[in-house]
Amino acid sequence: MKYLRIFLCLVALSLTACMSHVWTDTTTRLQIENKTDVTILGLDIVSEDGTSVQSWIRDAIEPGEKSKVVEEDWVGTFKVRVRFDKWNGETEKRFSLCAILITDPDKKPKKVATNFADLPESEVIEELGYDCEKNGHSDETATYVKLTLDFEGGSQYLVVSEDENGKAVFKFR
Amino acid sequence: MQRRLNKILFLLAMAAGVAFADPIPTEALTQGGLVMRDRQLRDIGLVMRGGRGGFIDIGYTYTPSSEQLQLKSKYGAHDGFAFRHHYGIFGSWVLDSISHLGFLTWFDRAGWDSQDFFFFPHYGDFAHISSAFTWGFSYTNTKYDVTAALGLQHQNLELASKRVFPNESDSLLFYWGHVRYKNVCIQGSFYRNTFQTLRLSLDLESRELYGGAGSGYKTYLPNLSATIYRRKNNDDDDNFVRLNLEQNLYKQILYADVAYDFPKGGFHSAILKYYPEGLSRLVGLEASCLRRNEIGGSRKLLWGGAVDIVILRLAYNSAFDYDNMFGAKGTFIAEIHLDLGSIGGKFFGRGAAKPTLMETSQKRVDLHKFMKTYSEQQKLNTTVDAQGNKVIEAKGIRYEKTGSSGTTSNEGGY
Repeated sequence: MKYLRIFLCLVALSLTACMSHVWTDTTTRLQIENKTDVTILGLDIVSEDGTSVQSWIRDAIEPGEKSKVVEEDWVGTFKVRVRFDKWNGETEKRFSLCAILITDPDKKPKKVATNFADLPESEVIEELGYDCEKNGHSDETATYVKLTLDFEGGSQYLVVSEDENGKAVFKFR
Repeated sequence: MQRRLNKILFLLAMAAGVAFADPIPTEALTQGGLVMRDRQLRDIGLVMRGGRGGFIDIGYTYTPSSEQLQLKSKYGAHDGFAFRHHYGIFGSWVLDSISHLGFLTWFDRAGWDSQDFFFFPHYGDFAHISSAFTWGFSYTNTKYDVTAALGLQHQNLELASKRVFPNESDSLLFYWGHVRYKNVCIQGSFYRNTFQTLRLSLDLESRELYGGAGSGYKTYLPNLSATIYRRKNNDDDDNFVRLNLEQNLYKQILYADVAYDFPKGGFHSAILKYYPEGLSRLVGLEASCLRRNEIGGSRKLLWGGAVDIVILRLAYNSAFDYDNMFGAKGTFIAEIHLDLGSIGGKFFGRGAAKPTLMETSQKRVDLHKFMKTYSEQQKLNTTVDAQGNKVIEAKGIRYEKTGSSGTTSNEGGY
């Protein structure tokens, strides 16, 4: 009877808050593996309107390398930006895109380049851009993928690879 | 089978409630302090209607899943817990036969954190935790039926993550006052020489609890209040007035509660409340309709309801939770709470017109003695006849055959 009471108290306690940290992760320990043949320059969380950026993985990850594990409080669904050094060596195309962007401001980046990343249905690609806002010069450009990722907390291992069509693939493992 | 089906449906509803919940916006959290302070003063206003006796209100919202009330920031949706812990206590002393001196404290701590807690928050990177504390003294004179109360209000921003919340100011020096004469009262809260809210309440409904009528046309008079809120919008005055009407619809067990905003805003909410007779609002059922007034311009109606059973309140999309839990909607919210007032040995729920049927008594039941008598009664199957005499009935009558075999039987199976 006494043990039953203690057990019931424990059940009640575990149901009513303050015990949730036992099974709820409040941080994500993220590591990226780069299986593409270009260098990944980092991973950031960006705001919906793109004006605020919070860096998460700051290392440059060479092809075939893994990043450090970085623990942050991002648990939930966020817009992520993965920056690449270049993609498919298409530097010329990149320059021409920049030119289009500057001469035609109505044309949005996501319209001009759609075949960059291939994502599973659950990870919807939001936007792909070539950042040409700084004068449109070749040395100022950046290549990145913006996608929405669901971080469940705990240790998460993100593999970035390239499929046979030359598209970037993001997968948690 | 039916019961199992009900159980499955209930669990499905709960799961749906969790899965399709909408995240709460950061703007709602930064408004939290204003909401808490105003609700505390409204509660105090209700308790000051009597101005004597005692009152306790203690509660804790319980949302079990970290995906139930996510935080919507500019980066996305964060997993975590919205919380609201609160208490309100009022106690009074009888100075002489007509004067009562009271002391009251109201405390709310609300916000969002990546973990839930009772006392010690996790203080996550995206947490917003703020509290409001209202305290003061009251004086009630029952001969003239007046109450005067005044005190201070402290709004304390414990933590607001710089990464997602705008800068906000708090203050420890709001002050408030409340004056009631019979059923008219004026309440105000101030900061330095400017008002924050000013409220005029006409509590016209006749309430048996405060010596009014228990039935009749007087109980059908409305309870009205008008509150002027001082608000700033980009340094411009954005003051507005909220009108509240509480109307007894049927025998003080069915009420309508309507809120309307002037000059813009218009209809805010309407609540239909049912309080079973004799339970003095300790048990209640409500259906509500609220018009969301979002920054994006969406003005959709939100329909919801709640069940309140003394210590547990279970609500879905209820107007109260939308207003007091940062616009929470699309999910079940449970609140474990108790609010109970007492005046002269009578108990009542917040805002009730009549006391409960239970009264304090000095009788104590000795459980052991009771059980002993009960079990003895069971054994003997004692009943009491119309004259008050104990009658013992025997079961299993034995019929004895007077034959030569001498067998006995209680079957009666001839």
